[in-house]
Amino acid sequence: MSIINYAKKEISFKIVYYGAGVVGKTVNLQYIHRSLPDDNRGNLISLATGDERTLFFDFLPVSTLSVRNFVAKFQLYTVPGQVYYNMTRKLVLRGVDGIVFVADSQWDRLQENVESFRNLEENLREYQYDLDELPYVIQYNKRDLPNVAPVEYLEFMLNRRPRRVPCFEAVAVDGKGVFDTLNMVSRMVLVSGFAKEQGVHQ
Amino acid sequence: MSTYDVAIHEEAARRIDGLLLQFLAESSAMDALLIDRSGQLLARAGNVEALDTVSISALAAGAFSSTAAMARLLGESEFTVLFHQGIKENIHVAAVDDQAILLAIFDHHTTVGMVRLFAKEATAGIRAILAESRAQPTRVGALAAPLAAGEVGPGVRERV
Repeated sequence: MSIINYAKKEISFKIVYYGAGVVGKTVNLQYIHRSLPDDNRGNLISLATGDERTLFFDFLPVSTLSVRNFVAKFQLYTVPGQVYYNMTRKLVLRGVDGIVFVADSQWDRLQENVESFRNLEENLREYQYDLDELPYVIQYNKRDLPNVAPVEYLEFMLNRRPRRVPCFEAVAVDGKGVFDTLNMVSRMVLVSGFAKEQGVHQ
Repeated sequence: MSTYDVAIHEEAARRIDGLLLQFLAESSAMDALLIDRSGQLLARAGNVEALDTVSISALAAGAFSSTAAMARLLGESEFTVLFHQGIKENIHVAAVDDQAILLAIFDHHTTVGMVRLFAKEATAGIRAILAESRAQPTRVGALAAPLAAGEVGPGVRERV
């Protein structure tokens, strides 16, 4: 959920990088952290296991956009990708404003991508969030590897809901596509707030 | 349902700041953070220097939500208080309502009992203010009008 602080003239949003295990969610945040000017970023926090797999989440606060003298702040989270960490994945989704679904482009990871996307839909439903309304983008990562599926095929597998969303090819480890993804989702999240109904929520 | 906004208007911010300062004075805690359960900081009062309040907020919300999940596994609705004891400094986290938590940092100048006692009073007051805030429109003033094309500032690029 967005937090609007009128005293500080700030709007804060939560964006979650979602996807199966080892697709590059953490690598996206690491690249953003490395590459943003100091004024635009906070500390990167990783709650990871000994072998650097995400255990709970990674967290990186960034500020990339502004509107009407309000600074927009985005809190970037990743979820743990492995199937058995679903309870923690669900916790991280609480109050989410926008999602980057990171997919591994390799042929032999297609099934895991599809299962992770279904898992995202299920977990959002538990919070009564609707993926037809929530801003999200898809990133097809690892495009530099030899055994990748064509983007058209990945689109057919993962971007076939009534609302087609923006997608980006990426090589997150080199930074390719990382900022295009971030700037698009943060813009969508910021703009969508202005289209929302006003008033009381549950 | 889609996502929704939480607005802290200037009047509510002033009243919450007042309650946090009162809590610090009464409990002798060093710092108090009001945190949304999604991990975002709503308000802060205190004097711990160089405190990374943004990271603390995200981590505290994560810790609180994971203990709430543990509580549910035991058949409890949630654990309403968390206490982390350090060598010099300690952290006390209390539920405000189902959307916010109050985190206090304190040292040997006070006790967990004092912090817990006054946190209970502070959370009651803050709960009432947040309930009032939720009944008001979230987007007012400069944020009320629809967004025109090109109004959002340019995004960022990586450093070269």
